Parts: sequence; C-alpha cells; structure tokens
Amino acid sequence: MPSAEIPAAGRPLLQIEGLRKRFGTNEILKGVDLEVRQGEVVSIIGSSGSGKTTLLRCVNLLEDFEGGAVKLDGESIGYRDHNGRRIRLKDRDLARQRAMTGMVFQSFNLFPHLSAAGNVMLGLRKVRGMAKTEARAVAERWLGRVGLAERADYAPSQLSGGQQQRVAIARALAMEPKLVLLDEITSALDPELVGEVLATVKALAGEGVTLLLVTHEMRFARDVSNTVVFMDKGLVAETGPPGAIFGSPRHPRLVEFLRGTRDH
Amino acid sequence: MDDFLSEAWAARDVIVGGLVQTLSISAVSILLGTLLGLMVGVCLVYGAWPLRLTARAYSDIMRGTPVLVLVLAAFYMPSVVGLRLAPFSAGVLALTLFCGAHIGELVRGALQTIPRGQTEAAKAIGLTFLGVLTYVLLPQALRGLLPPWINTCVEMVKASTLLSVIGVGELLLRTQEIIGRNFLTLQFYLLAGGLYLVINFAIEQAGKALERRVAFR
Repeated sequence: MPSAEIPAAGRPLLQIEGLRKRFGTNEILKGVDLEVRQGEVVSIIGSSGSGKTTLLRCVNLLEDFEGGAVKLDGESIGYRDHNGRRIRLKDRDLARQRAMTGMVFQSFNLFPHLSAAGNVMLGLRKVRGMAKTEARAVAERWLGRVGLAERADYAPSQLSGGQQQRVAIARALAMEPKLVLLDEITSALDPELVGEVLATVKALAGEGVTLLLVTHEMRFARDVSNTVVFMDKGLVAETGPPGAIFGSPRHPRLVEFLRGTRDH
Repeated sequence: MDDFLSEAWAARDVIVGGLVQTLSISAVSILLGTLLGLMVGVCLVYGAWPLRLTARAYSDIMRGTPVLVLVLAAFYMPSVVGLRLAPFSAGVLALTLFCGAHIGELVRGALQTIPRGQTEAAKAIGLTFLGVLTYVLLPQALRGLLPPWINTCVEMVKASTLLSVIGVGELLLRTQEIIGRNFLTLQFYLLAGGLYLVINFAIEQAGKALERRVAFR
C-alpha cells in the first residue's frame, strides 16, 4: 500500500470556491471548489477541455476569472473587495502573490538568454533581492537536487527536454513557494525522458512540498498523490484518494475516462 | 592633385568641425531616438488602447513623412507659436522623432516574436511587468533587434546631411562652403563621400562585433 494513501493532515493552504472562468461565451470553469492542504499532493485528471490547465492558470493569476474566490494561505488571490465590487489587484500585488506559488509549464519556458543557473537565479535576485553569490549558491543547490549540478552553466538550448524541465522545476522550487503548480509537465517530452522528470517530482512530494498538478500520467497520479481530482466539463466531478478514484470510480464520466486511458 | 591636397590641408579644421558635428547629430539622435523607440515599441505591444493608439499615430505620421519635411517643420513650425529652436536642436529633434518611429516598429516586431510562455514564466516567478520587460523580454528582443538597429544608425548618419538645409554646419554643408571658395567640386564631394563611407563602415563593423557578443550560445 503506497504511503501516499495516508491523508495529509496539514492546514488548508489553497481554497478554491465557486471559481468561474469564461473565454468569450465559452464557459471553461463553472464553479470549481477545491482544497489543497499543506504538504498535500493533489493531482487533477480529466479529458482535454475539462478546464484543468485553466484552473491552474487562475491560481497563478495568469488568467483572470469572473466569479468565485481563490485563497492562498488565507489571502484572497487576484482580487479585492471594494464596497461589494471585485477589483483586480495592481501589477505589484499580483506579482507578489504569484511569487507565493511556483509554476512549471508544459513547454518548460526556460529563458533562452540565460544559463541554467541564470534561469534559477533571476527570481532569487530580482524578486527575492538576493546578492549574486548567494543566489548562485541557492541555484547550484537546487540544480544539484534535480541532478543537474554539472549543467549549471549550460544554455537551455544545450540541454535535453527532460533536463530543461528539471531546470524549470529547480527555478520554481528555488523561490520556496508555498504551493507548486505543475501543468502537464511531461506532455512535451519524448517518452524516454518522462521518467527522469517524474522521479524528480516524486522526490519533492516525499519531502513535503505542496503540489497541485495536472497530469495525463495515470500511474504517476496514483503513485504520487494524496488526493486525485477528476474534472469534467468545467466542474470537479469526483474527488478522493487515488485508491478510490482508480479502484472504485463512481462517476460515470470517470469510469469512461479511465477506460479510455487504459486502452493506450 | 597638389591643389586639392593644399586646399584640403587649409580647410582641415572646417572639415573636422563638420565631421564632429555630423557625428554629434547622429549620436544624439540615435541615442534619444532609441530610447524613444523602446517606449514606442513597448506601448505598441503592451500599452492600454489610448497609449497604443497614440504610439500608432505617432509612428505612422513620422514614417509617412519625408525626413526633409520633418527637418524643415521642426525648424520653422515652433516659431509660429513664438518658440525659437536653434538649427542644431531643431535638426536633432526632427531626426530623433524620425528615428524613434522606426526603432519603435523594430522593437514592436522583435517583442512580438517572443513566445507568450516567456512572459508567463517570468510572471510566474513573481516579476512585475517592468521586471518581465527588463530581464526577460528586452534582452531577448535585443538580439533580433541588433541588425536592423545598426541599419537604422547608418540611415541616421546619412539623414543628418539634411540638416544642411537649415544651416547646421555638418559635414555636407561645410564641404559645400569649401567648394564655394575653391571650386574643387569633384574632389571635395569625393572626400566627404569617403568620410561618410568610413563612418558607416565603422558602424557596421562595430555592429557585427556586438552581434557576435550577444548571440545565443
């Protein structure tokens, strides 16, 4: 029995309530409720178009949203209430709140003009205000933890996809965010490179880093998560420990979805 | 030939004076024009609509007007409202406005080629818009910007000759004055042409050296 089945006991870190998001007339999120506790690993699964990625992007304020609330560590994210009106926060506040979360993207998005270490150092220096030598030391430590200590001075273009994604993980983690968001981080990788990235994430999960991730890797979701969330058509359709979600799914759409993924 | 050499020697101070003037006009208007262009380019891509519209109108008007007209306008128009600009200032103003519009479009193009993910990744680590621009977008845009920017610099040096019509004593006007005294038309125009060639060749070479320095590894 995987240890991940033990429910995380931490306090609520991320609380999403009634989150609504539309693109034009197309409603992507129709009132999503979700809670992530400190130290918990939550995987979101679901077919494409179900709103998984949009949900993560709302948490990191890369998308604005029309309704509902996102609270991180008790703080309302992205908006404030002004005499009953929702007002989008200013750039400076949004930036500060974004720094509370780390995000790793499907397409890595490393900065091509900076070395691997430079990518990790940028936020440390310009957001955290660290001195260069200190930032360098932190960057080297994190690159070491993702197994890339010797690649610190390589340019992103000199690294494989898997290595680039590990640098991206180090870049996000070095900022010591309260919550790390992983958005389909293995989807753009060649199959033989998926393993090294997932192993890195597993190690982080084992160290108590709070993770909210979107994934198509069902085995990985099962192994690494405390909680699995199945999203369907802009709503959370079913939530539970991985054993229950994969072992005895109740929602008909989830049953159908899991049957579909097993065929591959 | 002896005639030309002795005349050239006699006029050396005038020629050097004109050369210095040409270089200062070019340097100042390239510098100010580049700063202006950076702002215009950023406004064109990221500005809220009133700002974007203003930048667009400015850029289109400046690029659609002959530089000579801009120079004359900058010299004569302020006097209509009782303002008097010295020829040098008026000329530099016209060239700066022209340069800013061109560089603005170059910056816009360079910024638009940067994938969206770069901005998102930069925001995700907590950078403000200014930080995203300064540390992530502009350093990348610069690489694409450099070759056309060098071109614009060369164009500016050539455009500086137009300031002769409002009496700025740059290289062309000084050359014409010298020719007015000694009638060595062909020789002194060739000399001036040669000097422009040297300046622009130097700019091109400096640009190439710079390009090699900032190229992606």
